[in-house]
Amino acid sequence: MLRLPQRRICSQAVEKIRLSSSLSGNGDFPILKGHKAAQDLSKDTLKSHETIKDKEGQHKVTKKEFKIYRWNPDKPNTKPFLQSFFVDVSTCGPMVLDVLQKIKAEEDPSLSYRRSCREGICGSCSMNIDGTNTVACLKPTNSDTSKPTIITPLPHMYVIKDLVIDLTNFYQQYKSVEPWLKTRKPPKDGREHLQSPNDRKKLDGLYECILCACCTTSCPSYWWNPEEFPGPAALLQAYRWISDSRDEFREERLQAITEDERKVYRCRAIKNCTATCPKGLNPASAILKMKAKHSLPDPVKRIERA
Amino acid sequence: MGATKLSGMQKQVLSLYRGFLRAARSKPTTEDRKRIETVVSTEFRKNSKEVDRKNFQYIEYLLRLGHKQLDQLKSPDMVSISSVKIN
Repeated sequence: MLRLPQRRICSQAVEKIRLSSSLSGNGDFPILKGHKAAQDLSKDTLKSHETIKDKEGQHKVTKKEFKIYRWNPDKPNTKPFLQSFFVDVSTCGPMVLDVLQKIKAEEDPSLSYRRSCREGICGSCSMNIDGTNTVACLKPTNSDTSKPTIITPLPHMYVIKDLVIDLTNFYQQYKSVEPWLKTRKPPKDGREHLQSPNDRKKLDGLYECILCACCTTSCPSYWWNPEEFPGPAALLQAYRWISDSRDEFREERLQAITEDERKVYRCRAIKNCTATCPKGLNPASAILKMKAKHSLPDPVKRIERA
Repeated sequence: MGATKLSGMQKQVLSLYRGFLRAARSKPTTEDRKRIETVVSTEFRKNSKEVDRKNFQYIEYLLRLGHKQLDQLKSPDMVSISSVKIN
Protein backbone atom coordinates (compact mmCIF):
# COMPACT_ATOMS: atom_id res chain seq x y z
CA MET A 1 0.00 0.00 0.00
CA LEU A 2 2.92 2.32 0.63
CA ARG A 3 3.91 1.91 -3.01
CA LEU A 4 1.01 3.79 -4.62
CA PRO A 5 1.92 7.32 -3.39
CA GLN A 6 5.52 6.72 -4.48
CA ARG A 7 4.44 5.98 -8.06
CA ARG A 8 2.52 9.25 -8.21
CA ILE A 9 5.62 11.17 -7.18
CA CYS A 10 7.68 9.58 -9.98
CA SER A 11 5.85 11.87 -12.54
CA GLN A 12 3.96 9.53 -14.81
CA ALA A 13 3.21 12.38 -17.21
CA VAL A 14 6.89 12.84 -17.91
CA GLU A 15 7.31 9.10 -18.34
CA LYS A 16 4.46 8.95 -20.85
CA ILE A 17 5.96 11.78 -22.90
CA ARG A 18 9.34 10.07 -22.93
CA LEU A 19 7.80 6.77 -24.04
CA SER A 20 5.62 8.24 -26.77
CA SER A 21 8.40 10.38 -28.25
CA SER A 22 10.73 7.41 -28.50
CA LEU A 23 8.05 5.25 -30.08
CA SER A 24 6.93 7.89 -32.59
CA GLY A 25 10.45 8.41 -33.99
CA ASN A 26 10.68 4.83 -35.36
CA GLY A 27 11.70 3.63 -31.90
CA ASP A 28 15.03 5.39 -32.32
CA PHE A 29 17.33 5.02 -29.36
CA PRO A 30 20.34 7.29 -29.95
CA ILE A 31 22.47 5.27 -27.56
CA LEU A 32 21.95 2.12 -29.64
CA LYS A 33 23.04 3.75 -32.89
CA GLY A 34 24.26 1.16 -35.38
CA HIS A 35 22.86 -1.89 -33.60
CA LYS A 36 19.64 -2.70 -35.39
CA ALA A 37 18.95 -5.91 -33.49
CA ALA A 38 19.24 -4.13 -30.13
CA GLN A 39 16.98 -1.30 -31.33
CA ASP A 40 14.29 -3.75 -32.47
CA LEU A 41 14.49 -5.61 -29.17
CA SER A 42 14.25 -2.39 -27.16
CA LYS A 43 11.28 -1.21 -29.22
CA ASP A 44 9.43 -4.50 -28.66
CA THR A 45 10.25 -4.48 -24.96
CA LEU A 46 8.95 -0.93 -24.61
CA LYS A 47 5.72 -1.78 -26.45
CA SER A 48 5.05 -4.86 -24.35
CA HIS A 49 5.93 -2.98 -21.18
CA GLU A 50 3.40 -0.26 -22.13
CA THR A 51 0.59 -2.80 -22.05
CA ILE A 52 1.23 -3.54 -18.40
CA LYS A 53 1.82 0.04 -17.26
CA ASP A 54 -0.71 2.14 -15.33
CA LYS A 55 -3.87 3.19 -17.10
CA GLU A 56 -4.79 6.69 -15.92
CA GLY A 57 -3.51 6.12 -12.39
CA GLN A 58 -5.12 2.70 -11.86
CA HIS A 59 -2.64 0.13 -10.77
CA LYS A 60 -3.18 -2.81 -13.09
CA VAL A 61 -2.01 -6.03 -11.53
CA THR A 62 -0.66 -8.45 -14.15
CA LYS A 63 0.37 -11.74 -12.67
CA LYS A 64 2.57 -13.94 -14.80
CA GLU A 65 3.46 -17.52 -14.07
CA PHE A 66 7.13 -18.53 -13.85
CA LYS A 67 8.04 -22.20 -13.67
CA ILE A 68 11.48 -22.56 -12.14
CA TYR A 69 13.56 -25.75 -11.84
CA ARG A 70 14.15 -26.70 -8.22
CA TRP A 71 16.36 -29.34 -6.64
CA ASN A 72 17.79 -29.21 -3.15
CA PRO A 73 20.74 -31.47 -2.28
CA ASP A 74 19.83 -31.12 1.40
CA LYS A 75 16.61 -32.98 0.62
CA PRO A 76 18.10 -35.84 -1.36
CA ASN A 77 14.97 -37.94 -1.65
CA THR A 78 12.94 -35.31 -3.55
CA LYS A 79 13.32 -35.41 -7.30
CA PRO A 80 13.84 -32.19 -9.30
CA PHE A 81 10.61 -30.39 -10.23
CA LEU A 82 9.29 -27.17 -11.79
CA GLN A 83 7.88 -24.86 -9.14
CA SER A 84 5.32 -22.24 -10.19
CA PHE A 85 5.62 -18.68 -8.98
CA PHE A 86 3.12 -15.94 -9.76
CA VAL A 87 4.76 -12.53 -10.02
CA ASP A 88 3.15 -9.14 -10.63
CA VAL A 89 5.33 -8.00 -13.55
CA SER A 90 4.01 -4.43 -13.49
CA THR A 91 5.77 -3.78 -10.18
CA CYS A 92 8.92 -5.57 -11.20
CA GLY A 93 11.92 -4.67 -13.34
CA PRO A 94 11.85 -5.64 -17.01
CA MET A 95 14.47 -8.40 -17.03
CA VAL A 96 14.20 -12.03 -15.93
CA LEU A 97 16.89 -11.41 -13.30
CA ASP A 98 14.63 -8.75 -11.70
CA VAL A 99 11.86 -11.33 -11.51
CA LEU A 100 14.19 -13.86 -9.87
CA GLN A 101 15.33 -11.23 -7.35
CA LYS A 102 11.71 -10.40 -6.56
CA ILE A 103 10.83 -14.05 -6.04
CA LYS A 104 13.84 -14.60 -3.81
CA ALA A 105 13.11 -11.46 -1.79
CA GLU A 106 9.37 -11.88 -1.34
CA GLU A 107 8.29 -15.46 -1.87
CA ASP A 108 11.06 -18.04 -1.53
CA PRO A 109 14.49 -17.10 -0.14
CA SER A 110 15.83 -20.60 -0.81
CA LEU A 111 15.82 -20.09 -4.59
CA SER A 112 19.48 -20.32 -5.63
CA TYR A 113 21.04 -18.75 -8.72
CA ARG A 114 24.28 -17.01 -9.64
CA ARG A 115 24.24 -13.29 -10.42
CA SER A 116 26.66 -10.39 -10.18
CA CYS A 117 26.79 -7.39 -12.51
CA ARG A 118 23.12 -7.24 -13.64
CA GLU A 119 24.31 -5.67 -16.91
CA GLY A 120 25.41 -8.62 -19.04
CA ILE A 121 29.17 -8.34 -18.61
CA CYS A 122 30.04 -10.91 -15.95
CA GLY A 123 28.26 -13.94 -17.40
CA SER A 124 27.18 -15.30 -14.01
CA CYS A 125 23.39 -15.42 -14.46
CA SER A 126 23.38 -17.67 -17.54
CA MET A 127 20.41 -20.04 -17.60
CA ASN A 128 17.90 -21.55 -19.97
CA ILE A 129 14.86 -19.25 -20.31
CA ASP A 130 11.95 -20.50 -22.42
CA GLY A 131 14.20 -22.97 -24.20
CA THR A 132 17.02 -20.54 -25.05
CA ASN A 133 20.33 -20.20 -23.21
CA THR A 134 20.87 -16.55 -22.27
CA VAL A 135 21.98 -14.37 -19.39
CA ALA A 136 19.00 -13.51 -17.22
CA CYS A 137 20.02 -9.87 -16.78
CA LEU A 138 19.74 -9.16 -20.52
CA LYS A 139 16.58 -11.11 -21.27
CA PRO A 140 13.36 -9.06 -20.99
CA THR A 141 10.44 -10.95 -19.50
CA ASN A 142 7.77 -11.89 -21.97
CA SER A 143 4.76 -9.97 -20.63
CA ASP A 144 2.26 -12.34 -22.26
CA THR A 145 0.42 -13.64 -19.19
CA SER A 146 -1.33 -16.50 -20.95
CA LYS A 147 1.80 -18.66 -21.16
CA PRO A 148 4.18 -19.46 -18.30
CA THR A 149 7.90 -18.73 -18.62
CA ILE A 150 10.01 -21.80 -17.93
CA ILE A 151 13.42 -21.20 -16.33
CA THR A 152 15.81 -24.13 -16.06
CA PRO A 153 19.57 -24.39 -15.57
CA LEU A 154 21.89 -24.68 -18.60
CA PRO A 155 21.19 -28.03 -20.26
CA HIS A 156 23.29 -31.19 -19.83
CA MET A 157 25.28 -29.84 -16.89
CA TYR A 158 25.50 -31.25 -13.37
CA VAL A 159 23.25 -29.30 -11.02
CA ILE A 160 24.57 -28.21 -7.63
CA LYS A 161 21.34 -26.59 -6.44
CA ASP A 162 18.28 -25.11 -8.22
CA LEU A 163 19.73 -23.02 -11.08
CA VAL A 164 23.39 -23.29 -10.03
CA ILE A 165 25.47 -25.69 -12.18
CA ASP A 166 28.97 -27.13 -12.04
CA LEU A 167 31.17 -25.22 -14.50
CA THR A 168 34.61 -26.51 -13.43
CA ASN A 169 34.97 -28.57 -16.62
CA PHE A 170 34.13 -25.50 -18.70
CA TYR A 171 36.77 -23.40 -16.95
CA GLN A 172 39.38 -26.13 -17.24
CA GLN A 173 38.77 -26.34 -20.97
CA TYR A 174 39.19 -22.57 -21.22
CA LYS A 175 42.47 -22.89 -19.33
CA SER A 176 43.62 -25.69 -21.65
CA VAL A 177 43.51 -23.26 -24.58
CA GLU A 178 46.22 -21.17 -22.77
CA PRO A 179 44.42 -17.84 -23.04
CA TRP A 180 47.39 -15.55 -22.39
CA LEU A 181 49.94 -13.73 -24.50
CA LYS A 182 52.92 -15.94 -25.34
CA THR A 183 56.02 -14.29 -26.76
CA ARG A 184 59.62 -15.32 -27.33
CA LYS A 185 61.22 -11.90 -27.24
CA PRO A 186 60.64 -9.01 -24.84
CA PRO A 187 58.76 -5.96 -26.27
CA LYS A 188 60.58 -3.76 -28.79
CA ASP A 189 60.62 -0.58 -26.73
CA GLY A 190 61.00 -2.55 -23.54
CA ARG A 191 57.55 -1.60 -22.19
CA GLU A 192 54.59 -2.71 -24.32
CA HIS A 193 53.91 -5.02 -27.22
CA LEU A 194 52.53 -2.51 -29.71
CA GLN A 195 49.68 -3.27 -32.08
CA SER A 196 48.32 -1.32 -35.04
CA PRO A 197 44.59 -0.35 -35.06
CA ASN A 198 44.02 -2.69 -38.01
CA ASP A 199 45.43 -5.62 -36.08
CA ARG A 200 43.29 -4.64 -33.09
CA LYS A 201 40.23 -4.64 -35.34
CA LYS A 202 40.82 -8.32 -36.06
CA LEU A 203 40.01 -9.05 -32.43
CA ASP A 204 36.56 -7.41 -32.61
CA GLY A 205 33.87 -10.03 -32.15
CA LEU A 206 36.31 -12.29 -30.31
CA TYR A 207 37.37 -10.43 -27.19
CA GLU A 208 33.83 -9.58 -26.05
CA CYS A 209 33.20 -13.14 -24.86
CA ILE A 210 32.00 -13.07 -21.24
CA LEU A 211 32.43 -16.82 -20.72
CA CYS A 212 28.79 -17.26 -19.78
CA ALA A 213 28.83 -20.87 -21.11
CA CYS A 214 25.57 -20.34 -23.04
CA CYS A 215 27.09 -21.44 -26.36
CA THR A 216 28.99 -24.42 -25.00
CA THR A 217 25.95 -25.82 -23.22
CA SER A 218 23.81 -25.41 -26.33
CA CYS A 219 26.14 -27.48 -28.51
CA PRO A 220 24.98 -31.10 -29.02
CA SER A 221 28.56 -32.08 -29.84
CA TYR A 222 29.53 -30.82 -26.38
CA TRP A 223 26.63 -32.68 -24.76
CA TRP A 224 27.86 -36.00 -26.10
CA ASN A 225 31.59 -35.40 -25.37
CA PRO A 226 32.02 -32.86 -22.58
CA GLU A 227 35.36 -34.25 -21.43
CA GLU A 228 37.01 -34.19 -24.87
CA PHE A 229 35.49 -31.42 -26.95
CA PRO A 230 36.57 -28.00 -25.66
CA GLY A 231 33.31 -26.35 -26.74
CA PRO A 232 32.61 -23.22 -28.80
CA ALA A 233 33.59 -20.74 -26.05
CA ALA A 234 37.08 -22.21 -25.57
CA LEU A 235 37.58 -22.50 -29.34
CA LEU A 236 36.49 -18.89 -29.84
CA GLN A 237 39.10 -17.82 -27.32
CA ALA A 238 41.69 -20.06 -29.00
CA TYR A 239 40.96 -18.24 -32.25
CA ARG A 240 41.19 -14.89 -30.41
CA TRP A 241 44.75 -15.72 -29.39
CA ILE A 242 45.64 -17.14 -32.79
CA SER A 243 44.52 -13.93 -34.49
CA ASP A 244 46.26 -11.64 -31.98
CA SER A 245 49.18 -10.06 -33.82
CA ARG A 246 51.23 -9.69 -30.62
CA ASP A 247 51.23 -13.43 -29.94
CA GLU A 248 54.29 -15.28 -31.29
CA PHE A 249 53.11 -18.86 -30.80
CA ARG A 250 50.45 -18.76 -33.53
CA GLU A 251 51.58 -21.90 -35.36
CA GLU A 252 51.87 -23.93 -32.17
CA ARG A 253 48.42 -22.84 -30.97
CA LEU A 254 46.86 -23.74 -34.30
CA GLN A 255 48.64 -27.06 -34.36
CA ALA A 256 47.57 -27.91 -30.81
CA ILE A 257 43.94 -27.19 -31.53
CA THR A 258 43.79 -29.06 -34.84
CA GLU A 259 46.13 -31.97 -34.22
CA ASP A 260 43.53 -34.66 -33.50
CA GLU A 261 39.86 -35.09 -34.17
CA ARG A 262 38.87 -34.37 -30.56
CA LYS A 263 39.38 -30.61 -30.54
CA VAL A 264 38.32 -28.41 -33.43
CA TYR A 265 37.18 -31.22 -35.67
CA ARG A 266 34.52 -32.36 -33.22
CA CYS A 267 32.56 -29.31 -34.39
CA ARG A 268 29.84 -30.34 -36.83
CA ALA A 269 28.74 -26.78 -37.75
CA ILE A 270 25.46 -27.17 -35.88
CA LYS A 271 25.56 -23.40 -35.20
CA ASN A 272 23.50 -23.52 -32.02
CA CYS A 273 26.29 -21.51 -30.42
CA THR A 274 25.88 -18.48 -32.69
CA ALA A 275 22.09 -18.59 -32.37
CA THR A 276 22.18 -18.50 -28.58
CA CYS A 277 25.07 -16.15 -27.79
CA PRO A 278 23.66 -13.33 -25.62
CA LYS A 279 26.41 -10.94 -26.80
CA GLY A 280 25.79 -11.68 -30.49
CA LEU A 281 29.20 -13.28 -31.11
CA ASN A 282 29.85 -15.92 -33.76
CA PRO A 283 31.83 -18.91 -32.44
CA ALA A 284 30.83 -21.03 -35.43
CA SER A 285 32.53 -18.71 -37.90
CA ALA A 286 35.67 -18.57 -35.73
CA ILE A 287 35.85 -22.37 -35.70
CA LEU A 288 35.31 -22.45 -39.45
CA LYS A 289 38.15 -19.95 -39.93
CA MET A 290 40.44 -22.11 -37.79
CA LYS A 291 39.61 -25.16 -39.89
CA ALA A 292 40.29 -23.11 -43.03
CA LYS A 293 43.61 -21.84 -41.61
CA HIS A 294 44.61 -25.42 -40.90
CA SER A 295 43.73 -26.84 -44.30
CA LEU A 296 44.94 -23.95 -46.41
CA PRO A 297 48.25 -22.32 -45.51
CA ASP A 298 48.45 -18.51 -45.54
CA PRO A 299 49.10 -17.10 -49.02
CA VAL A 300 51.83 -14.84 -47.60
CA LYS A 301 53.69 -17.82 -46.23
CA ARG A 302 53.62 -19.62 -49.56
CA ILE A 303 55.30 -16.71 -51.38
CA GLU A 304 57.93 -16.51 -48.66
CA ARG A 305 58.86 -20.18 -49.12
CA ALA A 306 59.20 -19.73 -52.88
CA MET B 1 32.37 -57.77 2.18
CA GLY B 2 30.13 -58.81 -0.68
CA ALA B 3 31.30 -61.60 -2.93
CA THR B 4 28.99 -60.25 -5.67
CA LYS B 5 30.42 -57.98 -8.35
CA LEU B 6 30.50 -54.30 -7.40
CA SER B 7 28.65 -51.86 -9.62
CA GLY B 8 30.51 -49.00 -11.35
CA MET B 9 29.14 -46.50 -8.89
CA GLN B 10 30.20 -48.57 -5.90
CA LYS B 11 33.71 -48.80 -7.34
CA GLN B 12 33.80 -45.01 -7.70
CA VAL B 13 32.76 -44.53 -4.08
CA LEU B 14 35.38 -46.99 -2.87
CA SER B 15 38.14 -45.40 -4.97
CA LEU B 16 37.19 -41.98 -3.53
CA TYR B 17 37.40 -43.42 -0.02
CA ARG B 18 40.82 -44.91 -0.82
CA GLY B 19 41.92 -41.54 -2.21
CA PHE B 20 40.98 -39.83 1.04
CA LEU B 21 42.88 -42.36 3.13
CA ARG B 22 45.95 -42.01 0.90
CA ALA B 23 45.78 -38.23 1.21
CA ALA B 24 45.56 -38.62 4.98
CA ARG B 25 48.74 -40.70 5.01
CA SER B 26 50.72 -37.85 3.41
CA LYS B 27 49.94 -35.42 6.24
CA PRO B 28 52.71 -34.58 8.76
CA THR B 29 51.39 -35.50 12.21
CA THR B 30 49.64 -38.73 13.32
CA GLU B 31 46.82 -36.92 15.04
CA ASP B 32 46.05 -35.01 11.82
CA ARG B 33 45.97 -38.32 10.00
CA LYS B 34 43.68 -39.89 12.58
CA ARG B 35 41.34 -36.89 12.51
CA ILE B 36 41.01 -37.01 8.73
CA GLU B 37 40.44 -40.77 8.80
CA THR B 38 37.72 -40.57 11.45
CA VAL B 39 35.89 -37.68 9.78
CA VAL B 40 35.98 -39.34 6.36
CA SER B 41 34.98 -42.79 7.61
CA THR B 42 32.06 -41.48 9.68
CA GLU B 43 30.83 -39.43 6.73
CA PHE B 44 31.01 -42.36 4.31
CA ARG B 45 29.40 -44.81 6.74
CA LYS B 46 26.60 -42.36 7.60
CA ASN B 47 25.82 -41.79 3.94
CA SER B 48 25.93 -45.50 3.11
CA LYS B 49 23.20 -46.13 5.69
CA GLU B 50 21.02 -43.09 5.04
CA VAL B 51 21.16 -42.68 1.26
CA ASP B 52 19.00 -44.97 -0.83
CA ARG B 53 21.07 -47.20 -3.14
CA LYS B 54 18.96 -46.23 -6.13
CA ASN B 55 19.18 -42.45 -5.62
CA PHE B 56 21.80 -42.07 -8.36
CA GLN B 57 21.44 -38.32 -8.66
CA TYR B 58 22.29 -37.68 -5.02
CA ILE B 59 25.11 -40.25 -4.97
CA GLU B 60 26.68 -38.65 -8.06
CA TYR B 61 26.31 -35.25 -6.40
CA LEU B 62 28.12 -36.52 -3.29
CA LEU B 63 30.84 -38.11 -5.44
CA ARG B 64 31.51 -34.82 -7.24
CA LEU B 65 31.56 -32.94 -3.94
CA GLY B 66 33.92 -35.54 -2.49
CA HIS B 67 36.32 -35.32 -5.45
CA LYS B 68 36.50 -31.53 -5.09
CA GLN B 69 37.20 -31.82 -1.37
CA LEU B 70 39.84 -34.47 -2.06
CA ASP B 71 41.60 -32.18 -4.56
CA GLN B 72 41.67 -29.50 -1.90
CA LEU B 73 42.96 -31.90 0.74
CA LYS B 74 45.80 -33.18 -1.46
CA SER B 75 47.58 -29.83 -1.47
CA PRO B 76 50.46 -29.78 1.09
CA ASP B 77 49.12 -26.62 2.77
CA MET B 78 45.99 -28.39 4.01
CA VAL B 79 46.58 -29.91 7.40
CA SER B 80 43.27 -31.44 8.45
CA ILE B 81 39.51 -31.40 7.95
CA SER B 82 36.71 -31.24 10.45
CA SER B 83 32.96 -31.46 10.28
CA VAL B 84 30.30 -29.68 12.29
CA LYS B 85 26.79 -31.03 12.83
CA ILE B 86 24.04 -28.39 12.74
CA ASN B 87 20.52 -29.42 13.70
